[in-house]
Amino acid sequence: MNGARDLAALLPLLIPAAAACLLPIAALDKDQATRKWIRGAMFFTAMLAILGSFLYVTRLWEAGHQPTFAQFRMDRLAQFGAIFLLVAAAMTVMQLWDHLHQEGWVKGETLSLLMTAVCGMMLFASTTHLMLLFLGLELFSIPLYALTATVRLRASALEGAMKYFMTGAVASSCFLMGAVLLYGVTGSLDVGEMGVRLGLLKGLDPLALAGAALLLLGFLFKVSAVPFHQWTPDAYEGAPHPVAAFMSVATKGMTFLALLRVFTAVSGGGEGLLGVKLRTAMALAAVLTMVAGNLTALVQTNVKRMLAYSSISHAGYLLLAFVAATPMAFTGLVFYLVAYLAMNMGAFGLLTAFGLVGERVTFDHLRGLGWKRPGLSLAATLCLLSLAGIPPTAGFFGKYMIFKELVQAGHVGLAVLAVLASLVSVYYYLRVPVALWLEKPKPSLEREAAEQPAVEAPFAGATVLVCGLLTLACGFLQTFLVDGFAARVVRDCIGLVR
Amino acid sequence: MSAWISSHLLTFLVFAPLFWGLLLLAFPERLAPLVRLLALLGSTGVFCVALIHLLRATPEYGTLFCERVPWFTIVGLPVDYHLAADGLNLWLVLLTTFLTPLTLLGTWNSPPSRGGAAASIFLMLETGILGALLAQDLLLFYLFWEAMLVPMYFLIGVWGGEDRKYAANKFILFTLAGSLLWLVALLYTASRAGSFAPPLMAAAIQDLPGSVQRLLFLAFALAFAIKVPLFPLHTWLPDAHTEAPTAGSVVLAGVLLKLGSYGFIRFAIPMFPSAFAHYARPLAILAVIAILYGALVAMVQWDIKKLVAYSSVSHMGFVMLGLSSMTVLGTQGAMLQMLNHGISTGALFLMVGMLYDRAHTRMIADFGGVATRMPIFTTFFLIVTLSSIGLPLTNGFVGEFLILNGTYTAGFGWGRVLAAAATLGVLLGAVYMLWMVKRVFWGAANTDEDSGTARLSRDLNGREIAVLVPIVVLIFWMGLQPRTFLAASQEPVARLLEEAKAPAPRMSMMPAPEVKP
Repeated sequence: MNGARDLAALLPLLIPAAAACLLPIAALDKDQATRKWIRGAMFFTAMLAILGSFLYVTRLWEAGHQPTFAQFRMDRLAQFGAIFLLVAAAMTVMQLWDHLHQEGWVKGETLSLLMTAVCGMMLFASTTHLMLLFLGLELFSIPLYALTATVRLRASALEGAMKYFMTGAVASSCFLMGAVLLYGVTGSLDVGEMGVRLGLLKGLDPLALAGAALLLLGFLFKVSAVPFHQWTPDAYEGAPHPVAAFMSVATKGMTFLALLRVFTAVSGGGEGLLGVKLRTAMALAAVLTMVAGNLTALVQTNVKRMLAYSSISHAGYLLLAFVAATPMAFTGLVFYLVAYLAMNMGAFGLLTAFGLVGERVTFDHLRGLGWKRPGLSLAATLCLLSLAGIPPTAGFFGKYMIFKELVQAGHVGLAVLAVLASLVSVYYYLRVPVALWLEKPKPSLEREAAEQPAVEAPFAGATVLVCGLLTLACGFLQTFLVDGFAARVVRDCIGLVR
Repeated sequence: MSAWISSHLLTFLVFAPLFWGLLLLAFPERLAPLVRLLALLGSTGVFCVALIHLLRATPEYGTLFCERVPWFTIVGLPVDYHLAADGLNLWLVLLTTFLTPLTLLGTWNSPPSRGGAAASIFLMLETGILGALLAQDLLLFYLFWEAMLVPMYFLIGVWGGEDRKYAANKFILFTLAGSLLWLVALLYTASRAGSFAPPLMAAAIQDLPGSVQRLLFLAFALAFAIKVPLFPLHTWLPDAHTEAPTAGSVVLAGVLLKLGSYGFIRFAIPMFPSAFAHYARPLAILAVIAILYGALVAMVQWDIKKLVAYSSVSHMGFVMLGLSSMTVLGTQGAMLQMLNHGISTGALFLMVGMLYDRAHTRMIADFGGVATRMPIFTTFFLIVTLSSIGLPLTNGFVGEFLILNGTYTAGFGWGRVLAAAATLGVLLGAVYMLWMVKRVFWGAANTDEDSGTARLSRDLNGREIAVLVPIVVLIFWMGLQPRTFLAASQEPVARLLEEAKAPAPRMSMMPAPEVKP
């Protein structure tokens, strides 16, 4: 009886874990030219695992079950996180199929690592226990370091992975140190319990503050907030496009969901001495992130680096939700994540769909491609307009919700800075549609492209189309998403603590 | 179908072009002529429906049509799908639906490549404009206001001239700069009022301290003034106009700019009566500077299209001057001047486009003696020029006269000086337009082989005459019987100014005393 209940909580995590264990068997074949059906079986297994887990979690959501296993809670927040993650993972797998074929580098370990990362992320967003959090953090970080270097013959891939690994290891140890300090002060490893005990203490213990700051650093590193963002452009540039998309969407999304859980648990929704300090720190990080991210993105010539800095600047907007720290701001955050999933997956998917691999990812390479595949490019254009926050796309409503709460909480200056930052962002996002539709291809690059084999990327193309539709749909079905998902997630998450 | 249209007229007007445009987007490139024909027929259909329904509506000109359903409520703020046609936007809506088919017909051969896609995007642009004109809920207005930028951006960017990328980016960044700051003000006000309905927001604004009110007003005014464009925020306009294809220029001058001044009348003035009164004089001064500066810069242009673009700055200055006079006469004049400018400048851009299609140049120096080659064209051009100058009997005269009259009696003190200075602008208008006409149309034909005149082999064809005749009819109609066009806005404008002067009770702005829970 008890065992069945435990399983109920763990099942969404166990399914991808099982797939992660199975998949390397396919990789035992050392032959580069693995037979076609083995490849197909690998991707099919991965998709099947994702689908199984997805169906299970959606069943849980519909039935309203919120099973727990010790400190591991499959509650609404975790279920939402799992759905979000699995959708992102499914799109990543589909894009990987096309991308790895374009690169000529189809190996078994990639999908296995991806499944492990999925496990780790689910764990990360489903607990308030610091040791489990750390376990989750490492469980998804280490596969991602390896995934960054997927195409390991390329120097830029190794460079990106190395940078990501080195800085990531430091961030992880900071996280661990923070956990240790907080444990030392409060005698508890559960963040909720810790919040209660910290509230009982008179004033704020400097050690507790240092612990919380180090913990926050770990989170900020993973969402690539300035000044912990330096790894992002290099890692994204080196990683295969779908992996970069996965890192930007899933890592950021799940880390924000985990941060939401931890933040509301430790500070009771941002009030209290520690909550105020954390919010100030996050406001500062948000300002730096928005300014540095957007200004640096302006001068990029490489689309992936631009998207990396764009991903940094979006971390800034999302951090603003924690500055406002109202339930509705968190609702906005959750909505924004959904929008971000659609628009960023679409933006990265564009590169895969056009078969631009290796160094061929500058704006110049995109020139004039729009008229070759108008439907696909239109969907990608929608994604980029949404990233820029132009209505009626999903990105606008995400920003709208967060900024509104920010203004209502009295941070008008921050809101003005944020809209100015997003004004700057319009310029660099528009460079992609400009290249796609407005510019004629460079003759030299056109010749080079003609030498490449014809690109067929049916799965990546499909994901881009889906993403384009999703960004548009989110702009018209806000109520459905907000009331049906986001608000319930946040209500349950905050209700958990109070 | 027709019953549905009657009961959902406004929804039909707004979304029919979008729907039609999306449908046409699916056609392959080789069917471009068919697509253009279908776009023309579709937009003509929309115009006919608008004309029949709006003119048949009750003559007392309250709210003619209204559609209001709750749309969504997120972050605690309800947003209504609230469209309404009333005296303030009636003629602007008709102007938009009128200019769209006319422009499509007038630029039949203009965009050489991908004409089908251009026509579809053009229809989507119409949706954005009509939506913004009809929206009564501020967030809805904002959504249409922003969504409109995208088709315009692509219209300039894909089908524009040499520097199109620069012009398109400048256009979108300028407009967004204003509207994003405005968004913050909007969110601030809405979170105080708990709604995006202008009456409720106005009531909430009344409770704010004066300095905050003025700051919020400035944020609103910035967004609208960039769109108008008011000096010194006008620099995007000449670039956008020069680079845009003819169709883009016509709609940009014809209706897009009006949304700025319309925003003042519809939202900024009724919501911030005291702040508007406070800033009326600075606005009027900027408007006069725009009139004179626009005219002076227009005078020295070499490019006919750029000249017309700067004349737009000057003419829109008149609209702003009329609005800031805060008199019924001045505001009514501004309402009329918006239509005048839409018709005359729209026609000027169309005709510059016709000239360019033949001669492949727009430089004044390349022409001379065009009248000898194209007598019919010259006749039309001269009529529109005279209307643009504001000759009595044409529409321009009535609008400018009302505005100057209103400014003269304006309450803020400097009315007479400003009116006198603006009158100088009328004079300058005659100078730059007639000088241009002299250099382009009169004199001996430019016989140089490379000149523009040498390439003018044929006069206007039937299609082009068909485009220009309705415009000329309107020019004289508006000049001789302006009452037709002024009657609708008479009562709303009078009420607006009454409330702006005595902002205390604000009963008529509020349909019913609503009690917030």
